[in-house]
Amino acid sequence: MTRAQQTLSIGLLLSSIYMVAFLGLAPLPEKLQTDVIPVLPFWAIVTFGAYLLAKLGYGVLTFNDVPQAHQELVKQIEQARVELKKKGVEVN
Amino acid sequence: MAAAKHKYSILLPTYNERRNLPIITYLLEQTFSQAGLDWELIIVDDGSPDGTQTVANQLIKAYNTRGAGGERIKLKPRAGKLGLGTAYVHGLQFVTGDFVVIMDADFSHHPKFLPVMIEKQREADYDIVTGTRYAGDGGVYGWDLKRKLVSRGANLVADTVLRPGVSDLTGSFRLYKRGVLEKVIKATESKGYSFQMEMMVRAKAMGFKVAECPITFVDRLYGESKLGGEEIAEYLKGVFNLWYKV
Repeated sequence: MTRAQQTLSIGLLLSSIYMVAFLGLAPLPEKLQTDVIPVLPFWAIVTFGAYLLAKLGYGVLTFNDVPQAHQELVKQIEQARVELKKKGVEVN
Repeated sequence: MAAAKHKYSILLPTYNERRNLPIITYLLEQTFSQAGLDWELIIVDDGSPDGTQTVANQLIKAYNTRGAGGERIKLKPRAGKLGLGTAYVHGLQFVTGDFVVIMDADFSHHPKFLPVMIEKQREADYDIVTGTRYAGDGGVYGWDLKRKLVSRGANLVADTVLRPGVSDLTGSFRLYKRGVLEKVIKATESKGYSFQMEMMVRAKAMGFKVAECPITFVDRLYGESKLGGEEIAEYLKGVFNLWYKV
């Protein structure tokens, strides 16, 4: 099963369930039917969008900078240059 | 399993890496001799005009010894730029180890993580160990805010659309069992950017066991951002392609 098939199947399932609720085919409390069901898709999209944005922001904020790795590497490059020159390898 | 001798083959496609190649070779040699592991380096150079092959030959003279297992460095060039995937396929022919390492030649991937990845692989006989910049104490040096944003964004897109189960999908610092790499490459169709991504998604889809290992990625491309609008479009195309095909 490809990711596409998976996503579309789940999408189809959720849509069917929603259609049942939207068309009033299932016995639901009135408040739910009139106030919640009609706006549910929009709410879901907005919430999902907000969730993704939060995830993105969090990811950028908690990005791990590693200056010490850079320093370590620079030192090792210097060492390497010395050793390699001795072995007759051109470095610059 | 315990007494089996393992050999680690580093597959290094190169193009204009004259300055980086000696350093990375030095670091590899240091790492492997300190860890007491058997290794070899296969350089697949795509006809670099900057003298990469000259340096490779100097390294061969400097590091290779006579006798069994002495041929540490092999240069297997090609006539021109023929793409990353085919470079791996070409290099694989000459691999004599049972494990293959894929990494970048510009030492953004530090060989010091190889023993860590090897240890990780042994833990549960994983098929693939992939370095991750985004989990554990993995990290990056040299990225500005914009680059971080793009990177996180790209990962988020791939994560949401593909749900791959690895934290760093575009990373290319990986340890593969040789047979696994051969199988995965055979199944992979993308070119360029998406190639590494597709390999991982395919590998997971094929049921291979993948472990992750935090790595630090030192990006030496100061300010030189290779990420234009075109690259981003290519990337998105690649992700959706994978969503559809795999």
